[in-house]
Amino acid sequence: MSAAAIPDKPATSGLGGQTGLALLLPIVLVNVIGFIIPMLNLARMSFNEYVPGGGIREAFILGNWIKAIADPFNLQLIANSITLSLGVTLATLIVSYPIALYIHWSSGRWRSLLIFLVIAPLLTSAVVRTYGWIALLSNDGPIIRSIKALGVENPPRLLFNTTGVMIGLTEILMPYMILALLAGFGRLDPRFEEAARSLGATPAQTFRRIILPLTLPGIALGWLLCFVLAISSFVTPKLMGGGRVFLLATEIYDQAIVTLNWPVAATLSILVLILFGISLAVYTRLLKRLD
Amino acid sequence: MKPVNIKISEASLAQQSGRSSIDASPYLRLDKVAKRYGSFEAVTDFDLEVPRGDLVALLGPSGCGKTTTLRMIAGLITPSSGTIRVADTDVTNLPPHRRDMGLVFQSYALFPHMSVARNVAFGLDVRSVPDQEKRRQVAAALDLVQLGKLADRRPRELSGGQQQRVALARALVIQPSILLLDEPLSNLDAKLRDEMRTQIRDIQQELRITTVFVTHDQVEALSMCDSIVVMNGGHIEQIGTPYQIYEQPASPFVASFVGRTNRIPGRRTDSNRLDFAAGAIRTATDVAETNVEAMVRPHRISVSWTNKGSGPLLPGDRNSLQAKLQRVTFVGDMIQFHFDANGVALVAEQSSIQAHDIREPGTEATLSWAVSDTRMFGRAE
Repeated sequence: MSAAAIPDKPATSGLGGQTGLALLLPIVLVNVIGFIIPMLNLARMSFNEYVPGGGIREAFILGNWIKAIADPFNLQLIANSITLSLGVTLATLIVSYPIALYIHWSSGRWRSLLIFLVIAPLLTSAVVRTYGWIALLSNDGPIIRSIKALGVENPPRLLFNTTGVMIGLTEILMPYMILALLAGFGRLDPRFEEAARSLGATPAQTFRRIILPLTLPGIALGWLLCFVLAISSFVTPKLMGGGRVFLLATEIYDQAIVTLNWPVAATLSILVLILFGISLAVYTRLLKRLD
Repeated sequence: MKPVNIKISEASLAQQSGRSSIDASPYLRLDKVAKRYGSFEAVTDFDLEVPRGDLVALLGPSGCGKTTTLRMIAGLITPSSGTIRVADTDVTNLPPHRRDMGLVFQSYALFPHMSVARNVAFGLDVRSVPDQEKRRQVAAALDLVQLGKLADRRPRELSGGQQQRVALARALVIQPSILLLDEPLSNLDAKLRDEMRTQIRDIQQELRITTVFVTHDQVEALSMCDSIVVMNGGHIEQIGTPYQIYEQPASPFVASFVGRTNRIPGRRTDSNRLDFAAGAIRTATDVAETNVEAMVRPHRISVSWTNKGSGPLLPGDRNSLQAKLQRVTFVGDMIQFHFDANGVALVAEQSSIQAHDIREPGTEATLSWAVSDTRMFGRAE
């Protein structure tokens, strides 16, 4: 995935073709059995017919697909999911970029400590962190109470709405964004900044002309990763949305588990997969343009 | 070891490099500049005056503070104390982008996302120079470093030497008040380094640009520069012309860091006289200490294979002593004879074309050299 982070492989491989294939076999098998076959299953299921009450009839109808992309509610879901994910990605980028830049320019033990602090939240499950946010953001939680103490009469609701989902997802995705940015910052030598400054560039000019262009690969990678993670996230929107935020991921869950409409759930799942494909294509083209 | 600070006036500097001293006021001037990191003193008490148009080298081993000094001049590091002046203007607290100094890095630091021409144009871009004027100046700068044909290439498509020349053009196009070179030749192979040395010196002379050159390579410093600042452990050991640094080193550190030298430890028994196990030596310089060492350059020692037997002191102006040949090393243009004189190792060098007479190890020989080539320094117990 990270074209920016993985160096080109050497022209001559030390391994013969046969050994190479043998080494690839385990991961190929795992992917075929655990990913490709279920995906094909899912794709097939999206053409089956739903029988009210939880039954599925083997068929080959386009009804699920027509409903998925023509039904106003579903269209709204798709639009909600894309805008929320883009918003979360943008927020994550804005708060993560300065941190990543700082870590990139630090060194030694301090750098190791900072990277550990970035990764540390990943050691806790997203469910636990989400509940932590619920405690913090709830109406009698410390944040709302602080706002009230400052004299604001009707503080905005920070939980069980889109705002809550965005806050939660942004924090949960920050480690991924920071690591992706760091992986993409490879070309950024601190000497470039010094060279630009000595040539007469102000700090702002240095950022716009040198630092920003050279960190675009990292931004693109972080954007792709966090967009994909945001649009497919389920636990945080479910818990922090309080049932009022409707997204593709929550809808898939409801269709599959509550309504037991597996064909529609399968259709929406494949739809999300197509969205992933589109973002990957955009990313790849962007990266080529950057080079 | 006590630091020896020899400050020579800019007038005498100009005289020694054969120039008139009309423009006598120093262009770049550092007064008591120091940089401390916690309790570590990276640079201490740094005083330097550079006349306009001079090329001065900061020479020393790694960690001696030479790069820190250069970065303080560039404004990338703020001195802990002291002042830096350019043309009598205090720039100590000026941010780097307002200092108008051209900086060339060891790693070139060319912007990888820009073509060669865009790299060179960068300093003009941020100054909002009009397009036409900008194109003209970029072309002129690239011509100066003979890279006009490569203007549209990306830096990664160029060789190391070409990248270094682009970096030089980029620094020169803004017509900097001072050119700062941070080990600009260290990443080049030996042959290219020789070419670049000449090219940098030619350009510097053509533009008459005041230049500070950081290097750990004594050959670069001796061959290119008007004057040399030898640094060690954060302080200045000696400032002088290449000739002074080589022929009249002010400290044992300078004598052994710049060029090769023989060190003969002994006791000072009279003024300008040192006694040691293999005999006595007279020296051109004198010190007050009793524990001393004499230093003489290997190529100043002449070797005579006839055993004359050694008297305590030769009459006249030469030192002489008996030594036994240990081994002979052939270094291309030169042959090194390693001798042992009663436990003191001595090396004599002769140019290959003169050294017809090579003996077997174990041969006794008489080594002799001029008293005027012998310097005495104090020595720690």
